[in-house]
Amino acid sequence: MARSLNFIDALNEALHQEMERDERVFLLGEDIGVSGGVFKATAGLYDKFGEDRVMDTPLAEGIIIAAAIGSAMVGLRPIAEIQFTDFVTPAMDQIIQQAAKIRYRSAGGFDCPITVRICCGGGVSGGLYHSQENAAWFVHEPGLKVVMPSTAYDAKGMMLAAIRDPNPVIFFEHKKLYRTAKGDVPEGDYVVPIGPVAVRREGKDMTVLTYGFMTQVALDAADELAKQGVEVEVVDVRTLNPLDKDGILASVRKTSKCLIVHEDKRTMGIGAELAAIVAEEAFEDLDGPIVRITGPDIPAIPFSPPLEKFFLVNKEKIVAAMESLAKY
Amino acid sequence: MTTKAGRGVAEMEPEKASQSSELLLGLYRSMLKCRMCDEKARVLFKQSKYGGNFYSAVGQEATEVGAAYSLRDDDWIAPSHRDWISNIIKGAPLKFCYAQLFAKATSPDRGRSSPAHMGYPPLNVITPASSIAGQLNVGTGVALGLKKLGRDTVVVAFFGDGATSIGGFHEALNFAGVHRLPVIYICQNNLWAESVPLRLQTAVSDLSVKAQAYGFPGVTVDGNDIMAVYDASVRAIARARAGEGPTLIECKTYRWYGHSEIDPAKYRIKEEVEAWKKKEPIGRFEKVLVEQKLLNDQKKAAMAAEITAEIDEAVDFAEKSPYPDASEATDFVWA
Repeated sequence: MARSLNFIDALNEALHQEMERDERVFLLGEDIGVSGGVFKATAGLYDKFGEDRVMDTPLAEGIIIAAAIGSAMVGLRPIAEIQFTDFVTPAMDQIIQQAAKIRYRSAGGFDCPITVRICCGGGVSGGLYHSQENAAWFVHEPGLKVVMPSTAYDAKGMMLAAIRDPNPVIFFEHKKLYRTAKGDVPEGDYVVPIGPVAVRREGKDMTVLTYGFMTQVALDAADELAKQGVEVEVVDVRTLNPLDKDGILASVRKTSKCLIVHEDKRTMGIGAELAAIVAEEAFEDLDGPIVRITGPDIPAIPFSPPLEKFFLVNKEKIVAAMESLAKY
Repeated sequence: MTTKAGRGVAEMEPEKASQSSELLLGLYRSMLKCRMCDEKARVLFKQSKYGGNFYSAVGQEATEVGAAYSLRDDDWIAPSHRDWISNIIKGAPLKFCYAQLFAKATSPDRGRSSPAHMGYPPLNVITPASSIAGQLNVGTGVALGLKKLGRDTVVVAFFGDGATSIGGFHEALNFAGVHRLPVIYICQNNLWAESVPLRLQTAVSDLSVKAQAYGFPGVTVDGNDIMAVYDASVRAIARARAGEGPTLIECKTYRWYGHSEIDPAKYRIKEEVEAWKKKEPIGRFEKVLVEQKLLNDQKKAAMAAEITAEIDEAVDFAEKSPYPDASEATDFVWA
C-alpha cells in the first residue's frame, strides 16, 4: 500500500522501520532526540527507542562522526546527523581521513558502514551559513558514497539502501524538499539502489543532468519547453558518487544535447565532472555545446532577498538556457 | 606513582598489580624486544632497505609496554604514528611488522600505509591515519560501540603531547566522559612535538589535569618507570571494564631520536638528551630485576639472542616477500 507522504515523513518512516528491523541501528547528532531534530526528521524516534538508540550528542561534529565510525567498526550501524552542511567542516578530518580511507588503508581489515545525514540547500532565507549545497566537497573522495534524493519515494528507499550499505554513505537532504516534495511512498520495506540515475521525464531533444531540489525546478522548466515543442529529458543524478556513467551517457546519446543544472557554485563543481564525462565519452554524439546553469562563484548564498535570488538557479534561468541550447 | 590531577587513580580502590617473577620478566622481555625491534627498524631504514620514514619510540618502551601488556586479544589499541611497537606488544607476528615497513604484499595493509603506520585488524589494533589525534577519536567511537554491545572490552588510545592541543582531543575526552566509555587515554608526553617544546604547546605543567575538565580521573606517572605505568594502566583498564569510564594517564617520557629518521633533532640540547638517556626505562628496570635475582647477564644474553633470531627470521620474511601487484592499488576502495 502506498500513500502520499512528504519527503521528510518518508525519511522519518525509513528510520522508524529500520530501527525496528535491525537493532544495530542507532542515531546520533545534535538536537535529534527529545526535540526530534530542527526539521523534525527524527520526530518520535526518541520516545520509541530511548536515549541509547537516539543519542543527543555534545555540540561537536568531529566526535559525532568519529563515534559513528568507531561504532561501525565493531559491527553497529550508526546514522549520524549533521544539522546543517555549513557546519560539517569540523568533521571533515573524520569523514575524509578516517571514514573514506579506513577500509582502504587497512586492506579490508576494518569496514565503515555509517550513514551521515546532512541537511543542505538554499532558498529558505538561511543566509551564508544555513544554505550551502556542498556535495562537491565529498564526491572527490573515493570510498564515500554520496547521494541526494529528490523525491519522497527515493528519500525512504535510498535511506534504507544507505543504512544497509557496507560503505560510508553521505546522505544529503535538501531542506526545500522536506515539505514540498510529496509523492506516493509504499508503507512496507523497499530499497532504491545507490548508483543508477532516474529519468524523471523522457524527451528526445535535450538532456538535463541535475540532482536534489534542482530536479523539481528542471521539471518545471521542461514543462515550459514542451509548450514550445521541445521535449526535454530530465535525468536525476541522485547518486553523486559513484556516478552512473552509463545512465548519463545513454540519455545524452539519445538527445545529443546536454544541459547541466546545479544549485552549488560553478567552478570545479559537480557539473564540471559531468561535463567532462560527456565531453570525453559522448563527444561525437553532441549537437551543441555542453551548457552549465549553476550558482555563481561567490562564497555562499547571501541573506538579503535580492542577493539570495541572484544566487539561486530558478525556472526562468533554466528555461532561457534550454531555449538557447535548443537552437543548435 | 604520583597523582597530581583530578580524582587520581591513587584514590581509587587500591589493587596492587601482581608482581610475580613471571610478570616482571615478561614486562622486561617485552620492553627489550620493542627496543631491539625498533633499533633494527632504524638500521634497516638507514640501509635504505625501505623508503618513506620511521618514527622511533626508543626511550618510550615503558609507556607502550606498561599500557598495553595486560590487554586481552579482544581489547583494542588506537595507535599513533610512533606506536608501531604497540602491534608487537599486542601480539602481531613480527614478520608482518617488518613486512609493513617494507610495504610488501604480506603486510597487514598490503602496502598501503607508510612504514610505521601499522595496525593489525586480527588483534584489533586500528590501522592509523597520520592525522594527529585522529585515532583518538575513532578509538573513542570504538569504545562507544563496545559499550553499546555490552562487552567488557576496552580501548587503549596512544598519543603524544602535541595531540592534546588539537580540538579533536577535547571532543573525544569530553564525549568519553559524558558516556563513561571504556577507554584509556595514554598520553606519551615526550616533551617535544616534532620540534615544538612543551612550553609552547601548553601552559600547564601536567597534561593529566585536562581530564578534570571532562569529569574523569587524570594521573601523571613517570613514563620511564615500567611498574608505575603498568600499575596505573591495570587499574584504569579494570575501571573501564567495570563500566566506570575513562582514565587519562600522562606518562612523562622521552624519545631518544628525532621526530623521524630524517630529523636530526638539533632543536634539543645535548645535555637534555643525555640526562634522559640516564633515566631510560630498560636499564633502570634491569637493575631492579638483578637486585631481585630474577635476571643476570647470562639470562639477559639468552633473551637477547632469542629476540635477535626472531627479528632475523622476520626481516628475512619481509625481504623475501613480494611487493603488491600494481593492479592491487584499486582494491579495497569499496566494500
